[in-house]
Parts: sequence; C-alpha cells; structure tokens
Amino acid sequence: MTLRSRLALRFGAMITACLALLGGLAYHEFVTEPAQRKALGIPELPETFWGEYAEVFFYGMIPLVLAAGWWIIRRVIDPIALLAQSIERIQAENLPYSVPRTGGGDELDRLTDSFNALTARLAGSFGQIREFTLHASHELKTPLTIMRFQLETKLDEGKNLSPEEVEWLECELHEVQRLSKIVDSLTLLTKADAGLMKLEQKPLALGDLVRECFEDAQILAEPQEVQVTLAGCDAAQVLGDGDRLRQLLLNLTDNAVKYNRPGGAVSLALRSRDGQAEIEVTNTGEGVPAELQPRVFERFIRGTEARSRAIEGSGLGLSICRWIVQAHGGTIQMTSQVGQSTTVLVRLPLAPAH
Amino acid sequence: MHVLIVDDDRRTAGFISKALKQEGCATEVLHDGDEALDAILAVPFDAVVLDIMLAGRDGLSVVRQLRAKGNHTPVLLLSARGEVNERVEGLNAGADDYLPKPFALAELLARVRILGRRGGETKHAVLRLADLVLDTSARTAQRGGRKIELTTREFRLLEYLMRSAGRVCTRMMIFEQVWEYHFDPGSNLVDVYVRKLRDKIDEGFERKLFHSVRGEGYVMKDSP
Repeated sequence: MTLRSRLALRFGAMITACLALLGGLAYHEFVTEPAQRKALGIPELPETFWGEYAEVFFYGMIPLVLAAGWWIIRRVIDPIALLAQSIERIQAENLPYSVPRTGGGDELDRLTDSFNALTARLAGSFGQIREFTLHASHELKTPLTIMRFQLETKLDEGKNLSPEEVEWLECELHEVQRLSKIVDSLTLLTKADAGLMKLEQKPLALGDLVRECFEDAQILAEPQEVQVTLAGCDAAQVLGDGDRLRQLLLNLTDNAVKYNRPGGAVSLALRSRDGQAEIEVTNTGEGVPAELQPRVFERFIRGTEARSRAIEGSGLGLSICRWIVQAHGGTIQMTSQVGQSTTVLVRLPLAPAH
Repeated sequence: MHVLIVDDDRRTAGFISKALKQEGCATEVLHDGDEALDAILAVPFDAVVLDIMLAGRDGLSVVRQLRAKGNHTPVLLLSARGEVNERVEGLNAGADDYLPKPFALAELLARVRILGRRGGETKHAVLRLADLVLDTSARTAQRGGRKIELTTREFRLLEYLMRSAGRVCTRMMIFEQVWEYHFDPGSNLVDVYVRKLRDKIDEGFERKLFHSVRGEGYVMKDSP
C-alpha cells in the first residue's frame, strides 16, 4: 500500500471518528439534555442553537484533531527518522551498508531500496579505486627496483665519474628510495582499507614497548640536543600486534623529535586509567595550527612547518599511526598550542583481566 | 658460490645475476617456478634467490615442495608485496630469509653471503674479537681487560655484529635482528646506535673493530 493511500485511509478514519463523536455530542446536547431538563423541571436556558453547536464543536474537535494529527505525523515521521539515523551511520569504511526496510511496501521502502542500491554502487566504486591503487603500487615496485639497481651500479663504477655526477646520482637514488617508501606506505594503507591486513592479538606488556621506545628516542634526540623524559610508565597489558605497536611508538616519538626545536623537550608517558592504556607523547615544537589539527591524520596532509623546514616525510606516517590505533580498537588525537607544545594522545583498550 | 636466481622479470634477474657475478659467484637464471623446482632438486646450489611472483608454480610453493622433499638449499625469498604477514608466511614455508622489493643490491648481496655460510654456525656463549670479549650468559663486555657498560639494546647490537664478524650487516638486517622491526622505521636509529657503540668500544684503541661500508652497512673485524 502506498503512503498516499495509507494517509488517505487514516485521514478518512479520523474524519469518520470525528463525525461520530460530533453526532454523539449533538445528540446529547439537543436530545438527551433537553429531555432530562424537562423531566427534572429545569427551565430551558436561553441559549441559541448556534451557541450549542459551537460548544459541541469546541469540546469534541480540539483534542481529537490534536491526537489524530500527532498519530498521523508519528506514523510518517518515525520511519523517515529511522532511515536518517541509518544513513548517518554510513562511512566509507562500512560500505556497502544496508539500511533495513520498514516492510510496509510503501514509498519509504522504495526510498530505502534505492538508497541501498546507491551505497552498493558506491562500495563498488571504492573497491575499484582500492584495487587500482593496490595494483598500481605493486606494479610500481619492479621498475623502482630496476631504477635503484641501475643507479647503484652506476655509482659503484664511480671511478670515472666527476663529483657533480656522483652527487646527481646520489640525489636520484635518494628520491627513488623516498618514492619506494611512499609506495610501501600507500600499499599498506590501501590493504588496511580493504581489510586485508591481519593483526596479531597477543597479550603484550605495553610498558616494555614504551621503555624500549624511550631508550631509542633518547638516542634519536641527541644530535638535536632534545631532552627526552619518561614521565611515567604504569603496567598496562593490551591485546595486540607487537610489531605494529612498536611502529606506532617509534613513529610518534620520531615525529616528536623531528618536529622539535633544538634544545627542546619530548615527554613520553604511559598511564593505565578507566580500563584504557593512555600513551602520551608531548613535544615543544612549532605546533600545528588549530585549523589543521583535525586533519593531521588524513593522508598526505603535512603541516606548514614540515614543508617550510623541508623535513622529509611521506605525509602518510600519521595515517598509518591512526590505522594501527583503530585496528587495536583505540583512539588517537592531537592537541597543539602553536609555538608551545603538541601532544598526541593514544588510548588503547586494556586486555581483559583473567 | 653457486647461486640460482629465479625471477619472472628478466631485467631484475639480470641485474641480480650481474651483481653476484661481480662478487665472484657462479649464477644461473630461471624465470619459471616449475623449472626452478626441478633445477634445485637436480643440481646442488649454495643458495637460491627466489621471487614469489613467478610463471607456473609460485615461489612459496617452490619452497614448500623443496622442504617437503627434504631439500635444505638456503632460500632467500623476494617479493613485491612486502608485508609482515607475507614475510611470516614465507619463513613458515621454509625460506631462510625474506627481502621486500624494491631493495638495494648491496642488501641482497649481504644476505646471500650469509645464506651461503649458514649451517656451520654454533652458538658460543662467549664471543671474542681481538681483545674484545662478550659474555652473552653473564651479559658483560670487556675490551683489553676493561669493563664496558652497555644498555640492553647496545648489548644485543654488539652480540649480533660479533656473531656476524667479518660479514657486512646492512641497516635493515640489524633492524630485523636487533630491534625485531619488520617494517621500514624511516629513521637513522641504527646509525646513531652504531656510532655510540663504536665510541664505547673503539675509542682510545689503536685497533679499530668497527668499520662502515659505504652504501652497505657495518662490519666488525680485526683489520684496518
């Protein structure tokens, strides 16, 4: 049944109910009441016919119209609100997403169907893009390998080369390596999008990883005379992939050192709080302007500082961090005060206690 | 050293073969998985460089078949995919080492050299190189009778370099063995650590034990 006919039917039912009630009230006013008055000997009130009619109409109609209107509106609005809620839940990550049908066989079901078909088509397109990126990065690797071999071979036969030629070749080689890293990161993220990356789920003492990372960070920070401190290291057991969590910690601390001022400070902390492990990495770098903060975890978003100071990076490091954190069921966020400090806070669920 | 190279990309195989020949290896090149399996079973090679993507049988299946038939020729797997999962899969299949593409030729040469010498290794608890003594059970290091203080990571790095004494260890190999990182950490951590360790070990001594090999990595040896 269509929504239109359903509404028409309900409206008809409402009108009928109203008329019935009106009839009842009119009967009471014009027939029953005068009869009672006559029987009890009460004199007729000096009321006009129209006055009586208005009374009936007033008492009967107002609540009825309100109730019926509310009922009809709810019947129409509720399924639409449900539909809207389902649509809001859709992300690129959970496509194709099927919004449940109401099952009334009406326009709303038709809308749901066309919407579901749309998300299916979108999912198909996203899939094609992923497939394309995956193939492209795979296909890029063989020519990159060969380019690298050629440059290395040329450099190895270096005796007949002028210093300018050697410098040029080394520069080329460096760019090839950089390109390779970008292709690697891109492959990883594309695979992660497609759900092809399988992570281990082993119980891990996060404290050990943080202490290891602290030791590495101190060494990394030495050339820039950046002071690294471990501001606390609670015992925290998580379920996860050791390799990936090490990668996350190293990435965050390496960033904290790279984007710091000479003589600055980096602070590392692990806290166990409300069933979550909190890892906090703070540095005293230039910071990230407020308008860029929500976007730093997106792909190829790099801060103005990274560009102006020509700090080398792929623009994918923080995206990989976010993927690692999300794959462990956690959250990551960055807060920064320009010119003062930047803090990255990672929250990971603790392993359930035995 | 007799090395078989199996890669369906002819130019890649050609480059690897050329580089290994310059190292003094005898090389053979094949492009097909089934042919490779037959060749390894027929001829004793010292090492095999095997790409996973091949015409016919793929690299992983070649290794599985070899090991199932009791053949223990050292195998270095190459792959254009380069994921941790794939590395684990390759090593589980019976490969001895795994290298993701694109890699440096020096990286490949260093790994093939080590593959060729595998088998004769014994795990001594006390390692010696010139007057440097590393006791892995007591976790102490001494040079010329003087005790050297090392952090956990420095100790593991020194142990790895001493066990591979005389052979070049690339940054990537050090990362895999000492840090157990199977991803590109994108930092100069190894270089900084080696520099610090070198200062602790070699400073004040006439005979230098740490040597860097330009464009390749590091080697510990008792010679200039």
